[in-house]
Amino acid sequence: MQRQSTGYLFVLPALLVLGLLIAYPVAYTGLLSVTDNQGNYVGVENFARILGARATPTAFMNTLWWVFGSIVFQVILGVLAAILLNQNFRGRAIVRSVTLIPWVVPGIVAATTWAWMLHTEFGIINYMLTAPGIIPEPVGWLTNGSTVLPVMIAINIWKMFPFVAIMVLAGLQSIPNDLYEAARIDGASFWEEVWYVMLPQVRPVIVAVTLLLVIWALNHITIIYAITRGGPANRTLITPIQIFRTAFESVQFNQAAALSVMFFAVAIVVVFIYIRTLASNAGEAR
Amino acid sequence: MSAVAAAPSKLKRTGLPVPLIIIGSVLLVFVCLFPFWWMGLSSIKTLRELYTIPPIWWPSMPTLDNYRKVLFESNIPRYFLNSVVVSVGSTGLALILAIFASYGFARFNFRGKPLLQSFVLVGQLLPTAAIIVPLFITLRVLGLVNTYWGLILVYMILTLPLSVWMLTSYFKAIPVELEEAAIIDGASRIGCLFRITLPLSIPGLVSVLVYAFVTTWNEFIFALCFATDSSVKTLPIGLAEFSTEFNTDWGAVMAASVVMTLPIAILFLSMQRLFVGGMTAGATKG
Repeated sequence: MQRQSTGYLFVLPALLVLGLLIAYPVAYTGLLSVTDNQGNYVGVENFARILGARATPTAFMNTLWWVFGSIVFQVILGVLAAILLNQNFRGRAIVRSVTLIPWVVPGIVAATTWAWMLHTEFGIINYMLTAPGIIPEPVGWLTNGSTVLPVMIAINIWKMFPFVAIMVLAGLQSIPNDLYEAARIDGASFWEEVWYVMLPQVRPVIVAVTLLLVIWALNHITIIYAITRGGPANRTLITPIQIFRTAFESVQFNQAAALSVMFFAVAIVVVFIYIRTLASNAGEAR
Repeated sequence: MSAVAAAPSKLKRTGLPVPLIIIGSVLLVFVCLFPFWWMGLSSIKTLRELYTIPPIWWPSMPTLDNYRKVLFESNIPRYFLNSVVVSVGSTGLALILAIFASYGFARFNFRGKPLLQSFVLVGQLLPTAAIIVPLFITLRVLGLVNTYWGLILVYMILTLPLSVWMLTSYFKAIPVELEEAAIIDGASRIGCLFRITLPLSIPGLVSVLVYAFVTTWNEFIFALCFATDSSVKTLPIGLAEFSTEFNTDWGAVMAASVVMTLPIAILFLSMQRLFVGGMTAGATKG
């Protein structure tokens, strides 16, 4: 009944499609990165060229800011929201649904709506900040080089913290009631409960979600691309957008491939740490 | 017996103080919903009311003119249709392949299974920017750039690994004894799959469908690269076009955003439980 060949038959079609769409392009990227556009082998020339480009170190630093800035606040806000939603109060179901909405809507809708709200002259945000005198005059959030990347990070935080909240909430709700009762018998306050019961219990969830957020931050470039395309003056250029622009705006496929290879190498390390973490979480649960 | 049950309630009830719950919930709802409220409001304003300082909180003459522009004078309806075709196509195709693959993974032991399963998971987490160049070249060679089939195929990168991953865990949760009984009664493997396993995993199938549909509906970067002709462009691209033209018509952009968000919002609000279930399963189940 458990014939090996039958199992292969079932999984084969899906794996063929994935092979065509993932394994082949990855291998092909490697090939492109060491050849010129005629297909001649050129060694590491593409790598040298793209590493020598002025935009590359800028994009690298921006990517670091983008990833870390996004994740720190996504996790903190997400955990706080989860603790709030874990309380018993009337209307909790509605608040929980509403919280998920930023995460569900298309990234491009979030991007355009925020771009309009951040409009220098007619944007509601400048109005809300200038009217009570929080800032003296309207700020060009999306044109000013020193505000544009933090603003992009803020939009990304707004978009993704609901995901953290819902994952952590699921973790909080699976904590056995005994643990709370034990803490209460010992006279723990609410914040002690948060610190000594909730956070240690959901730590595996937080670790897994954080790694997933790193992967997604490298993956989801819609918000930045749709609002600024990496500008002004490369202030919001992150590496995935640089790959995209090198390939499709400068039509330097081989240099884009070289950059992809390096980007891929970094991303795959994160992916493997994530898979190891999942495996060890599953091991603990058993 | 009753004394034991009553004991926990006699302990001091700990939780967030009520004022904090109220402030937190109001803040959370405001942050999550305000952009959409402003989007809806801006979409029914006249041009003059959009561009005034200070901004108008409630339009004195609400107008549907922006919607008329979007629905009758732009390509948005066509893009809407394209989005439906591509999302339904790639979700459906991925589901069919995933049903077989997941059944193979859940019910058979064969050599290399853990490796193949990791391959599927890596596929789900792979940074799209890293493979976009070779994918473009591959599609060009196959003559699939600017076709529905091209996008449907490419979107399987997003939908297929996720569907396989989620369905495998659903299938594993169904007791194998049911199938063994059927096989003794003379059913074939395929018969087992379609008569026993699938009917029992309908909630799983629906959450895979919903999640995959939303993912493809929201996708931006692949569509931007592989659909440059208006006959196949999807809604996210249409929206981006609206807002990057020289003079952005913000009223129309906001109306188009509403049109694009509505299907997702309805789908999400009507199937929230399945949606959230699928999402949490897809992200951390090992």
